Amino acid sequence: MANLLEVRDVVAGYGNGPAILNGASLSVQPGKVHCIIGPNGAGKSTLLKAIVGMLRLREGDVVFKGNSLKGLRPDQVLRRGICFVPQERALFPKMTVRENLRMGGFSMADKAALENRIDMIEERFSILKERRDLPAETLSGGQQQTLAMARTMILKPEIVMLDEPSLGLAPKIVREVFKIVQIMSEEGITILLVEQNALMGLKYANWGVVLDLGRTLFEGPADKVLGDPRIQELYLGGRRAA
Amino acid sequence: MIIDIIQILALGISLGGVYALMGSGLSLVFGVMRIVNLAHPAMIMGGAYVAYWAFRLAGADPIAMLPVAVLILAATGLVLYKLVFEREAQSARYSEMTVLLTFALAMVVEGLLGAMFTNTQRITSPEYATDAYFVGDVFVPKGQLFAAVTSVAIISALALFLKYSRFGNAIRATTQNREAAQLLGVNVNHVCLVSFAIGVGLAGAAGALVSFVFSFFPSKHWEWIVILMSLVVLGGMGSVLGTVLAAFILATASVFVGFYFGATWSTLTFFVALFVVLLVRPQGIFGEKPELA
Repeated sequence: MANLLEVRDVVAGYGNGPAILNGASLSVQPGKVHCIIGPNGAGKSTLLKAIVGMLRLREGDVVFKGNSLKGLRPDQVLRRGICFVPQERALFPKMTVRENLRMGGFSMADKAALENRIDMIEERFSILKERRDLPAETLSGGQQQTLAMARTMILKPEIVMLDEPSLGLAPKIVREVFKIVQIMSEEGITILLVEQNALMGLKYANWGVVLDLGRTLFEGPADKVLGDPRIQELYLGGRRAA
Repeated sequence: MIIDIIQILALGISLGGVYALMGSGLSLVFGVMRIVNLAHPAMIMGGAYVAYWAFRLAGADPIAMLPVAVLILAATGLVLYKLVFEREAQSARYSEMTVLLTFALAMVVEGLLGAMFTNTQRITSPEYATDAYFVGDVFVPKGQLFAAVTSVAIISALALFLKYSRFGNAIRATTQNREAAQLLGVNVNHVCLVSFAIGVGLAGAAGALVSFVFSFFPSKHWEWIVILMSLVVLGGMGSVLGTVLAAFILATASVFVGFYFGATWSTLTFFVALFVVLLVRPQGIFGEKPELA
């Protein structure tokens, strides 16, 4: 099956600072959940930012469905079908839950279709319906993450990229967040996930990618990554996957 | 005593309405672009001169000339943004640069207005500007009241636009989280361009109203910047609602001070408020608490 997205030897960094990504490559297959793991500073979040156009590519290319994304702004990348939820969840704190969802469909021209889509999302995630008229800043951490992830589904994107969705959440809430990942995957959305909780991330993933020092060290089926003794030792805290 | 308080409130609220419009454009531009537009009062001056000369040359009512002042100033805002601010948007020293740029811009506008219209004090004088409504012993100058009502109508229209229109939501989203707005498909550069034009257009509207409420001359904008900064800081940097609320509070406070201690002290109210707010609650009424580190 042809790759949906390809990251080819990307070199990128912040401003005029040193390169964080030093030739990172990645293949994203349609319909699968991909989990990128690696130590702090490996360039995992930077890679997602480079794909979505938040960072300029100094070298290399990002190709989506055969077309280069190089030089596009984040809003232009979104219109091609790639949504990104950064670590900070990227909500609008003073806007209501419903308004936040509406912003998720900002690029939709058909207002009625947008409202229908929001209604469907609210039916699926009842907490968002219950809190629809409250400012997003009043939601708990887990509810905010639910809102941020559900909001990406408004557009029915082809790829959703999630940066550390479990960050700062209690274990019970983390499981709920990964359930949403599952729901997204069942809807046919391809997921690219960066996760510090590597064991959890790989359990829900089909494909694992190990990144270190801005380069891709290894990629393969998630169970193979989980079972590799070297990767367990270096990146999974020496623990064997259950 | 009661009559005095009602009089202070009547004058303060009507004056606050004028200040609210003067400050709302400044607040909007700061919220969206993080630009402290020191040239904003100079733009208000520009609107005032548009109304003044339309009145002098054609006897046009300043309130009727308001849309013309808005259009001229908004167009000026579009050109200025493209020429001056857009290229600085990617600069690492964007905030510092825009302070210097807007300071320089204020000087240029002042110089141009001085060269074109001299430094003579001006004021438009439609009939209502020299009349007042009396309710018992309480009076409200008609000009100030008309200006306040027009201001409130414009600010209400702005609030409805920001709350209910698609582009208004994009402006609010960009104000609250610029990166998130871009990730959701908002072209933030376009939002900044239009917001700057709206902000400067509001300055034009305020100028048309100010032209019959205060006398003005090109360098008077330096006096206004202190007043407007105190409104924006008390309201919370970037909060239009906060600025409007602060305008009513501080205008009433300044009328109170003027009433009991003399008019020369009333401007001091804004200086003191600016100082106290920065000391006690730097985030103002509706602003976010600044993060340390």
